[in-house]
Amino acid sequence: MIEIKNVTKSFSSRRTIDHLNLTIPHGKIVGFLGPNGAGKSTTIKMMTGILPIDEGTITLNGYDIEKQPMEAKKTFGLVPDHPDMFLRLKGMEYLNFIGDIFNIPSDIRKERIERVTKQFSIYTALNDYIQTYSHGMRQKIIVTGVLLHDPPIWILDEPLTGLDPKSSYLLKEMLREHAEKGNTVFFSSHGLEVVEQLVDEVAIINHGKLLFYGTLQELREQNPSNDSLEEVFLEMTNDA
Amino acid sequence: MMHKTFLLAKTMLKMQYRNPDRKASQTFMYIFSFIILLPILFVYIDIMRGLVQSLYQAFEPIGQESVILGLLFLTLHFLLFFISMLTILTTFYFSEDIESFIPFPFEPYQLLISKAINPFIYLYITASALYLPFYFFYGTISGASILYFIVGIILLLLTPIVPFSLAAILIMFVMRFVNVAKNKDRSKVIAGIATLVFIIGINVLVRINTNDDAFIENMVMFLQEQDGLLQMLTGFYPPAYLSTKVLIGIATGVGVLSLLGVITLCILGFVLFLWLGQLLYLKGVLGVNTGNKKSFSEKKINKSLHNNSVWISYIKKELKTIIRTPTFLMQCIVQSLFGPFFLVIILMLDFGNNSLANFSEAFSEKSMILTLFMVSIFILGANPTSYTSISREGKNWYTNLFLPIKPKQIVLSKIGVASLIDLLTIGLLLTIMLFFLHVPGEILAIWLFLTLLGSIYTSSMGTYLDFLNPKLNWTDEQELFKMRFIGLVALLFTAGIFGIIVLILWNIQYFQGSLQIAGILFLCLTSGITIIQKLLTHKIKKKYHLHY
Ligand SMILES: Nc1ncnc2c1ncn2[C@@H]1O[C@H](COP(=O)(O)OP(=O)(O)O)[C@@H](O)[C@H]1O
Ligand SMILES: [Mg+2]
Repeated sequence: MIEIKNVTKSFSSRRTIDHLNLTIPHGKIVGFLGPNGAGKSTTIKMMTGILPIDEGTITLNGYDIEKQPMEAKKTFGLVPDHPDMFLRLKGMEYLNFIGDIFNIPSDIRKERIERVTKQFSIYTALNDYIQTYSHGMRQKIIVTGVLLHDPPIWILDEPLTGLDPKSSYLLKEMLREHAEKGNTVFFSSHGLEVVEQLVDEVAIINHGKLLFYGTLQELREQNPSNDSLEEVFLEMTNDA
Repeated sequence: MMHKTFLLAKTMLKMQYRNPDRKASQTFMYIFSFIILLPILFVYIDIMRGLVQSLYQAFEPIGQESVILGLLFLTLHFLLFFISMLTILTTFYFSEDIESFIPFPFEPYQLLISKAINPFIYLYITASALYLPFYFFYGTISGASILYFIVGIILLLLTPIVPFSLAAILIMFVMRFVNVAKNKDRSKVIAGIATLVFIIGINVLVRINTNDDAFIENMVMFLQEQDGLLQMLTGFYPPAYLSTKVLIGIATGVGVLSLLGVITLCILGFVLFLWLGQLLYLKGVLGVNTGNKKSFSEKKINKSLHNNSVWISYIKKELKTIIRTPTFLMQCIVQSLFGPFFLVIILMLDFGNNSLANFSEAFSEKSMILTLFMVSIFILGANPTSYTSISREGKNWYTNLFLPIKPKQIVLSKIGVASLIDLLTIGLLLTIMLFFLHVPGEILAIWLFLTLLGSIYTSSMGTYLDFLNPKLNWTDEQELFKMRFIGLVALLFTAGIFGIIVLILWNIQYFQGSLQIAGILFLCLTSGITIIQKLLTHKIKKKYHLHY
C-alpha cells in the first residue's frame, strides 16, 4: 500500500506538485496518467526517495520514505524512466549486485534470473555490458532486477515506452501476475490507450494536481458524454 | 568552413564549461582558495627567480648562459608533449561527446580543431606557469631589451603547437590500428599506456647509456665554443634550439631567421596534424566507446552467481566502473602512477644509479621519515579518485537514492575504493624505496604505516569535499577532471595541512626520535580522519539528496 498525503513540491518557487493525496491499495494495478510535464516522474521520485519532499508525507507499506528510508526502500522495486544506469556493468553483474543488496540466496537468484531473462530473450546477453544493450533491453534488465527481489510494491515510470509489442505484452502479464499475488503495482503513462485493458484503477494528474482517482468504470460514468476513455482523458488534461 | 568550425568549438566549450548549478558558496570557495594559494605563488616565483639567478651566475662567466633558455624550452616541450598525450587520448578518443557530433556533416579536421581547444587551454596554462617566471627573470637578470619581452610572449604562444601536434600524430597512428582490435575498451587503454611507457623508456635508456667518458670529452669540446652547451643539449631537437636562438639573437639576423624557423615548424606540425587527422581520426574513433560483445556461455553465468556482502558488492561495482571507463582509468589509476614513475626518472637522471644508495646515509632518520611521508601525502592527495567519488556517478547518482543502502555505507565504500586504488601508488613507492633508495627496514615500516593511514585521510578528505559540492550533471567524464577547483582544494587540505605540520616538526629540535615523530603524525592523521568522519555524518544527514 502506498499513501501519499498532502504532498507538495516546488522547483525554484514554481509549484510542480500541489497538495497531492492518493492511496493505492494492495493487490491492485494502478495507472498514473497525465501528459508530459504533469508531474508523474516528480511524484515517483519523491515516493522512492530520489527527491526530497517539500511538504506532506509518503508511506510505503506503512514505512515513511523520509523517516524510515531503509525499511521503505526494501519494500519496493523501481523501474525509472531512464534505464541508462550501471552501463559499465555486465547484465549478470548488475543482477548480482541487486541480489547482494537485497540479500537474495544464490539458488533463488539463479532460478529467477533464468526464468525472467529467458522470457525476455535477454538471457544470452547477460555477459555483455549494459552499455551495449538497446533501450528496451536496458529496461528489461532493470525489470529482471526488480523481479529478482520480488518486492511487495512495484513502481514503474513510463515502462511501456520503448518496448516492442511482445515485450510490452510480457511486461503487462508480469505486472498482472505480481498484483494477483497481493502486491501493489503503480506505473505511470502519458496515454490511456495502452493501459486500458491492464489497470484496475487510474489516477489522472495534470499540473501537479490530482484530477481523478477511481476505476475505469467510474471514469466512464462520470463522463457520459464522451465516446471513448481516450477522449475523456484528453478532455480532462486539455489546457486550452 | 571556418564558420562551421567556430560554431562547433563554441558548442563543445559550452557543453563543458557551462555550470547550471553554480552557487554563491562556490564562488566564495574559489576566492578563499585563491587567497590561501597566493603565498604559495609568491614562494614559487621566488624559487624560480633564485634558480634562474644561480644558473645565470654559473654559466655566464663561461659564455654558456644560452643553455639556460635551451633547458627551459627542452623541458617545456617535453612536459607539454606528455600532457598532450594524456589530454589527446582522453579528449579525442575516450570522451563520449564526440558521438553526438559524428552524425552531423563535419569534416574530421573541424572536429579536431574544436576538440583541440580544450587541451590547448590546458597546455597554455601549464606552459605559462613554467615559462613566464623563467623567461622574465632571465630577461631582467641579463638586462634584455623590450623586444626580448615582446618576442618572448610570441614564443610562448607558439610553443605548445609542436609538442601537441607530435603527440597527436603519434596517438592517431596508434589508435587507428588499435581500433581494429577486438576488445576495444581495454586495448585502447593499453595502447595509450604502452605509448607513454615506450616514450619514457626510450628517454631513460638514452640517458643511462650515455657513456661517461665520451660525455666528458664532448663536454670539453662543446664548452670551448659560444653556445656550445646549447647545441649539445638541444641540437637533436630543432624547435627548442631555434626558440632559444630567437631569444638570444634578438634583433639580429639569426634571431629573425630562427623565429621564421619556429613559425614554419609550427605551421608544418599543425598542418600535418590536421592532414593526418583527416585521414586517421574518424577511423580511430568510430565505435571506440562501444563495449564489446562476447560470445555467450552458460557456464560463465552460473559461475558468476555468488553472494557477496553489500560492502563488497558495492566496492566491486565501483572498482569495475573505474577500470572499465577509459577516462576514469586514465585519470584515477594510470595518471596517479605517473607521480612515482617520474620520481624514478628524476632519481635516475639526477644521481646516476650508484649515488642513490647514499640517500639513506645523507639524511637523519627524522628528516627521512618526514620527507618520505610528505612526498607520499602529496602524491596521494593529488589522486582524483577521492575528489570525484560522488561526481563520478553523474546523472546516475539517483540509483544510490532508491536502493536500500545506508548513505553512510555508500560514502564509506567510496572512501574505501579511493584507498584501495591508492594501494597501487603505495606499492610502487615502496618498490622505489626498497630498490632505489635502500631505505632501512625500520623506517620503511614506519613510513608504510603512516602512508596507509595517510591514504585513508586523503581519501576521506577528497570524498568529503566532493560530497559538499559534487558535479553531477556532466555529459562527458572529462569534465570531472578539468577546470574543477576541487583538485587544488583537496591538495590544500591534504598536502597543504601536512606540509605545515611537517615543517613545524622539522624545525622543532626537541623531537628527534623516529618513533616520536611517527607518534605525532599518527595522532594528527587519526584526529584528522575522526574529524572528517564526524563532519561527513553530519553533512550526509543534511544534504543526501544533493542536486535532486
Ligand atoms: N529537477 C528539476 N528542476 C526544475 N524543474 C523540474 C525538475 N524536474 C521536473 N521539473 C519540472 O516539473 C514538471 C513535471 O515534470 P515531470 O514530473 O518530469 O513530468 P512527467 O509527468 O512528464 O513525468 C515539469 O514542468 C518539469 O519541467
Ligand atoms: Mg516523466
